[in-house]
Amino acid sequence: MFARAWAPLALLLACSEPFEHPRATTASAAEGAISRAEAGMTRLTARQYRAVLLELFGETAPVALQEDTYPYLFATVGARSEPLTESGVQLIEEAVDAVTAEVFADPARREALVGCAPTSVDDPCAARFLTDFGRRAYRRPLSAEEAARWTTLASALSEGDVWTGLRSAVAGILQSPWVVYRPELGTPDPADPSLHRLTDWELATRLSFLLWEAPPDRTLLDAVAAGQLSTAEGLNAQVDRLLGDERAREATEAFFEQYLDLGRFDRAAPDPATFPAFTPTLRAAMRNETLLLVDDLVWRQQADIRGLWSARRAFVNSELAAHYGIEANGASAIAYVPVDLPADGQRAGILGLGAFLTMNAHATATSPTLRGKYVLERVLCSVVPPPPANVATELEAEPGEEALTLRERLDQHRADPACAGCHGLMDPPGYLFEHFDPIGAWRDTDNGQPIDASGALLGTELADAGALGALLSTDDRVGPCMVKQLYRHAHGRLNGDEDAAVLDELSAGFDADGYNYLLLLRRLVTHPSFRVIPAPAAEVAP
Amino acid sequence: MMPRLSRRTVLRGLARGAPVALALPLLDAMLTGRARADEAGLGPIYGTFFWANGLPWHAGHGSAQAGGTDLWTPATTGADYAVSDLLSPLAAHAPNVISGLTPWTEIPASPDGQSDGHMRGFMVAMTSDRPRSEGFDHPSHTLTCLRPTLDQVIAEDPRFYATFPSPYKSLQLGISTARFHDYGHWNAISYAGPDAPIPPVTDPSRLYDMLFGISTGDAEAGRRARLLDAVLEDAQSLRGKLGVTDRQRLDDHLEHLYEVQRRLDLGDITCASPAPPSSSADLFTQTNTFAELLAMGLSCNITRSFSFMLASPASTHVFSELGVVTDMHTVCHNGDWTAVYNITALQMRCLGVLLDHFAAAVDPTGRSVLDRSLIYAASEYGEGYQHAVAEMPILLCGGANGGLNRGIHVREAGGNLSKAHVTLLRALGLETASYGFNGGETTEDFAELLA
Repeated sequence: MFARAWAPLALLLACSEPFEHPRATTASAAEGAISRAEAGMTRLTARQYRAVLLELFGETAPVALQEDTYPYLFATVGARSEPLTESGVQLIEEAVDAVTAEVFADPARREALVGCAPTSVDDPCAARFLTDFGRRAYRRPLSAEEAARWTTLASALSEGDVWTGLRSAVAGILQSPWVVYRPELGTPDPADPSLHRLTDWELATRLSFLLWEAPPDRTLLDAVAAGQLSTAEGLNAQVDRLLGDERAREATEAFFEQYLDLGRFDRAAPDPATFPAFTPTLRAAMRNETLLLVDDLVWRQQADIRGLWSARRAFVNSELAAHYGIEANGASAIAYVPVDLPADGQRAGILGLGAFLTMNAHATATSPTLRGKYVLERVLCSVVPPPPANVATELEAEPGEEALTLRERLDQHRADPACAGCHGLMDPPGYLFEHFDPIGAWRDTDNGQPIDASGALLGTELADAGALGALLSTDDRVGPCMVKQLYRHAHGRLNGDEDAAVLDELSAGFDADGYNYLLLLRRLVTHPSFRVIPAPAAEVAP
Repeated sequence: MMPRLSRRTVLRGLARGAPVALALPLLDAMLTGRARADEAGLGPIYGTFFWANGLPWHAGHGSAQAGGTDLWTPATTGADYAVSDLLSPLAAHAPNVISGLTPWTEIPASPDGQSDGHMRGFMVAMTSDRPRSEGFDHPSHTLTCLRPTLDQVIAEDPRFYATFPSPYKSLQLGISTARFHDYGHWNAISYAGPDAPIPPVTDPSRLYDMLFGISTGDAEAGRRARLLDAVLEDAQSLRGKLGVTDRQRLDDHLEHLYEVQRRLDLGDITCASPAPPSSSADLFTQTNTFAELLAMGLSCNITRSFSFMLASPASTHVFSELGVVTDMHTVCHNGDWTAVYNITALQMRCLGVLLDHFAAAVDPTGRSVLDRSLIYAASEYGEGYQHAVAEMPILLCGGANGGLNRGIHVREAGGNLSKAHVTLLRALGLETASYGFNGGETTEDFAELLA
């Protein structure tokens, strides 16, 4: 879904400073709030399962898997709430068959994988391989019974060929529910029988799938085996190591793609006849510039992440520069360059960029309502109810309204008391963007009339989109909203009352850390709440 | 867990003891002494056909919708009804029309929004029940069902596949990939149960592989099936450590693994496969491709239950081929009756081409796939302008393997929608004392339609 089509960006990123992990203002919390929210066993997302195959085999031909869904924006919520279908289970079977066929057909690759060239399944090196492979796949050491199961299978299905036997065992391991799902069983908390503490293996799995969208590597598994995750120092060292890896950069990008709803932007459909400028390359560039701003704030500047909504800085290629009407020396079709935007202008943060402005517009007209709704929901985490079922929402010009701007017509329709409540919240922040047409280009008039881009955010009057950026850059509702979104992504579920105390602590820490996103990640995964779960519900006879 | 293993053994025994799918053309020799194809064990086929956003509105949907002409409801009832404008693409196949129906299910007061047609109308059309209140969240449009959708109820009914298992108990197909949301029922019209949506296959190449690429019981497929024994065994150590909910989730997964294994073990599947398909962004062209593949697969008994999501609920599909530049859901809310009419007519032409392919797939006894099929065609509500659930459009197409009369219009203004479900279950030979839930219960059927 989130196609990566911007290899040239690597050139730009390669020039940036090497990662240095930020220093937290407080030591890793030794105590703090925990949540008792129940959360069912989750499966791996398609992205995560592919990362498992990559970790174990290196690059292989792409495989089809059940596609991820994004309830409440996040694939992890989909993976916990929407199960694998029969078709999804079959796709895993076929993917595993195809990948193992590819790897085991090549003598060099299979020997590199297995680490030796066993002549029979009884060769001790074959059993050693399965034990080691099993540990990497299960993300914990195999029990003796499990190890025996896979060596027995390798023997039974070898058909006179040791490689066929090993391939069969590998294919079996990769389909085990221990691998396809992420069981978190924990061990009873000695201090509180209603809680379980995750084992260090389970904690490492949580860490790596959150920070990398990928399974633990050998180094992390070895650290667990050495007991390092049981100490704060050891845990911090591993967290810093994970954050210093390129995979953390990709995983962060994946989080922001979902949080900012870029999947919806990918499906946005401006009318091609009205907007011939909206080419596939412009669409791709709008996506890229959004993620470049994220990358800049999170990794290169390690700055206050609220700059997402307010930064006077953009990364544009030549097509975007022309679209926005700005100078960008050195930009070409494939080279994105940083440009400083005027401090008194109206483009601020991603709210001044094409992706936000386009995905929240209609095919031929802007939508102050959708733009305002996005600001309320994504930036402030306000909940806006949908329109009542029996209300018509059309804004066709009625007789006498032909010469009005869209804003004037919306104002007239808002006279209906059934609409006034919610539209009174959504439209005023959306009006601030009226100088931007449905694909984000500047405009001076709407329907031939001059534009009034004044508006308001939840009662605060604002002159234009630039003023909104200035407000959001220090707004104390922005940080807790981002904490909430990250928490949902990290745990794959909605936050509820049980999570309030944890969220408050994380938000306070985020504030103390100057809204540094990496420090928030670090704080989240070292917080006590990250390694406890409620004790499983009462057992019934199987 | 052991009973599940024995059940699989039984299934495998069944599969090995009998040909599970028939070659095309059906060998005359196989019909020796058998008068009719259904006596060869093929049985009826069930399909749900779903189209998005109901009908162009008219006064029957409510006073606010007055002004739009009713181009759907036939002017006369009974056999040989006067075919309406919107039904004309289907006329050659004499569909049964049931008009006037609406949900009778209760609407819980809390949480808000459970009366919304997108939610209530959809769930009643697919399950005869209201949406589940627990977890219902109107602002995010999150909801789920209380029970499986009809295609799953039928596929899982032990009577349906009692004598003649198919490789797939059911298949889910979809044409448009536009989505109002990319989760839940906005993305799937079939549910295996609460919280278990089954998203459709939308890639014709994948459908082709599923229908015509089943491994055919050779040694390699046997190896793949045997290694699943170890996977199933391995799952037991996890199963014993899980709480009730997670154990159920794991059991559902293991059921899917048994089905995958059963297919790998099937012998003698031969189905003349057509040329590999190519994908099209054009709704009608893609429907034509899927319909042709599906009709061939059904001829070979690859499955006997399917759902076909032409466009998803509240579809945001852009019908640019009709000169409509705005997505369909918005078009409805904008009150553009003419555009909605044109879009609905195109969706009926898509249903028409599906029926055409089903009618053209004829076995040596002269019976077509359409003769064997019961296709329940429905949408999510009556109309999309104001989400009215009055006058929900319902068709029962095909002959249901002799269980259904054809070409009849029955009308019951304000009637209980569940009555259509009782009718179709009985037409399939699945005698059902009562269907419908939480206010939708009924023992009645439309007797005129049952053969």
